Amino acid sequence: MIKLEHVNKSFHNGKPAVRDVSFEVNTGETLVLLGTSGSGKTTTLRMINRLIAPDSGQILVNGESVNTQQTEALRRNIGYVLQDNGLFPHYTVAENIGIVPTLLKWDKKRIEERTRSLMEKLRLSVADHYDEYPQQLSGGQQQRVGLARALAADPAVLLMDEPFGALDPVTRASVRKEFRSLDEIHNKTVIMVTHDVPEAFELGNRICLMDKGAIQQTGTPAELLFNPVNDFVSNFFQEQRFWLELNALRLTDIRSWLSDTVPGENHAPVLKGEDSCWDALEQLTTLSAPVNILFNDKLVRIDTSELMHAFTQYKQTVSGHGRSTRLS
Amino acid sequence: MEDQPGFPEFVQQQAGKLLEQTLQHIGLTFISLLIAVVIGVPLGILITRRKKLAGIVLGIAGVLQTIPSIALLGFMIPLLGIGAKPAIMALFLYALLPIIRNTYTGILQVDPVVIDAATGMGMSKRQLLYRVQLPLAMPVLLAGIRTATVINVGVATLAAYIAAGGLGEFIFGGIALNNTNMILAGAIPAALLAIIFDWAVARLQKLRAQKVKTALYFLPFLLVILSSFYLLPAAYGSSLVAGFTPEFMGRKDGNLGLKQVYGLHMRTVVISDMIMYKAAYEKTLDVISGSTTDGRVRAFDLQALTDDKHIFPPYYAAPIVRQETLDKYPELAPALNKLSGIINDSVMTELNYRVDHLKQDPAAVASDFLKAKGLLQVAKHGTKGTVVIGAKIFGDGYILANMYKLLVNGYTELEATTKTGLGGTKICFDALTNGQIDLYPEYSGTGLLVILQADKSVVDTLISDNQKVYDYVSREFMQRYHIKWLPPIGFNNTYALMMRRQQAADLHITSISDLKEYLLHH
Repeated sequence: MIKLEHVNKSFHNGKPAVRDVSFEVNTGETLVLLGTSGSGKTTTLRMINRLIAPDSGQILVNGESVNTQQTEALRRNIGYVLQDNGLFPHYTVAENIGIVPTLLKWDKKRIEERTRSLMEKLRLSVADHYDEYPQQLSGGQQQRVGLARALAADPAVLLMDEPFGALDPVTRASVRKEFRSLDEIHNKTVIMVTHDVPEAFELGNRICLMDKGAIQQTGTPAELLFNPVNDFVSNFFQEQRFWLELNALRLTDIRSWLSDTVPGENHAPVLKGEDSCWDALEQLTTLSAPVNILFNDKLVRIDTSELMHAFTQYKQTVSGHGRSTRLS
Repeated sequence: MEDQPGFPEFVQQQAGKLLEQTLQHIGLTFISLLIAVVIGVPLGILITRRKKLAGIVLGIAGVLQTIPSIALLGFMIPLLGIGAKPAIMALFLYALLPIIRNTYTGILQVDPVVIDAATGMGMSKRQLLYRVQLPLAMPVLLAGIRTATVINVGVATLAAYIAAGGLGEFIFGGIALNNTNMILAGAIPAALLAIIFDWAVARLQKLRAQKVKTALYFLPFLLVILSSFYLLPAAYGSSLVAGFTPEFMGRKDGNLGLKQVYGLHMRTVVISDMIMYKAAYEKTLDVISGSTTDGRVRAFDLQALTDDKHIFPPYYAAPIVRQETLDKYPELAPALNKLSGIINDSVMTELNYRVDHLKQDPAAVASDFLKAKGLLQVAKHGTKGTVVIGAKIFGDGYILANMYKLLVNGYTELEATTKTGLGGTKICFDALTNGQIDLYPEYSGTGLLVILQADKSVVDTLISDNQKVYDYVSREFMQRYHIKWLPPIGFNNTYALMMRRQQAADLHITSISDLKEYLLHH
């Protein structure tokens, strides 16, 4: 659990970098700090593990103010992933992963076991890479090692600063997917910084959109899209709005506008109510046929026009101010 | 020169001394290097943390680096005396800059992302330094140590000037004695040491960071062992310490003669003529190889010991001139000869005293003297030609060269220039035979023993008679080199062993034989 209360920070030039930032992230939740360069998102992140000291305000990690904890001990209990991985070039892959456990004085055997298990989970071949140096790995593998290193001591909190930013789009997508499917992160409090909107939507339970050091809005992806509190927020997502909306909406959200057509001969469910409208659209266009969706109460069969109709209905209902979309 | 033994024979004969000098050289290099590492690396680390200090520290170390090495050694003498201490101090100061600078840049060039990651994961400053910064800075840091090592091997040759030993003893001895083998016997090992150490540190640099860790544990031990080499040769000793110039060390009428004729064996250090007299005065040395007309003999109240077995031949000073120049300018010889017979021993000592001790300008001293003797004439600023007058780096040469310049300018239509400070007989004589200078004042004894390197049988027949020596060298020089000995100036500047007057009186030593007797019993 992480909690920020009215945190402020100015640098030497006097310009405020972070202004009155407050939010709370619960265990098992991922909060994405989203914004352009200079929005204050990285500064906010680095204040949590005390790489930067706030001018005012409170920062609590697991209910305790970070200022009352010994800095090194605090940091050893916080996983930290950097954009350029920051791997030690003079340490092997295994030594890199084992840094924090070593600082915590785990015994050698335990460190080795933990390292091997993490490498397997992150699909890094132990046989090939255990004794290799970071320079011998590809960019994607390096970032996986960075991730493994942050998770090594099983910290309750994980801070990620543009963790996939340095990777090419294909590699980024695959590392991101692995990260999402890691069982390790489900009981952690995760804060991730990114400027990549699709990434924020894919990984964030909630998104905290920042601009000029201040929070513009914090909420679920759907809240940000359909209930923006100001023009900045609505304009921010303008570029990819259609895709984002389809992605942010779960099928259960538009359930009420879907007919109760019961599938005929084919009873096999293809999608679940938790899946996004985008997933459904993908399936529909791939199969070129109606698909079955398993909701809590029953199995329902829809086609493309029905999906798009329900989606449009939802939007008209939710967004009172009837903003136009690229959907036409 | 032709009858010198070959280089291999020389090395074989001098193997013991060569080994001793090489060990001293390694020792000097590494003691100073060790101190420089122990002080320089922490200082380099400190200035990465206190950036304000960086400019000052690097600035001071940089300035130290620009001081000419021989001058730096000179500065050390008043503070630390002569011998190992000032030499090590000077070498240490030279090694400091590359070590501090490379530690500093080595640490600063470590990828800031890596530092950020290390800090973010909870490393303390100390852990960050030892586990991340130093290992990653190591190749650059070692490059600094490598530079410092090579610099030190080179500069350590100069340590021979201040009685700290090392391979410089052979090099300077060889230059002074016109002995190429001796120069090579010092220069080749010195060059080899530089190459070997350079290579060794380069190897260390190329090791992977992992292995460097292990290698680095051995480095301090290695440094200490190499440093201790310096102490090995110092194990023997006698109650009195002698300091001889490099030239004196290798001369038949020098240390070799002392050993052969007198059987005099004492603890001996090699030292530059420039600081030898003062070292005797300051009681760092007890016996030195002085020259009788040197002004400092008077200034520091030293007493020459009687040469009761006559190993030091007379050294009559006379200008030696290229015959070619004399043929071209017949008026030159009469002008130079105006000084002939004018200056006797005590006059020369007095003149040297004014220059060496009272720090008067040699040109002014020369001019005053000629004026007093009625020989000074206003310069004619002639344009007929140029005559270059040389002089050796020490003693009488400066003053005599200036007198000759005034005489040539005043009595002929020629324009004279001086080229003083030529570092020894070999350099001076080579300059003369090559035509870079036209004349310089030389001593008959030096001509006989150093330049002609006459056989022992020849020397023995001549040595007791000044005139015979002068006639022999005149004849031989003309025949072999086409160089003319003009009439002697009048004074006799010979070698002599010297002691402090007080000490000589206390120990009842008046002759070299007395000294030998004293050493036998103490």
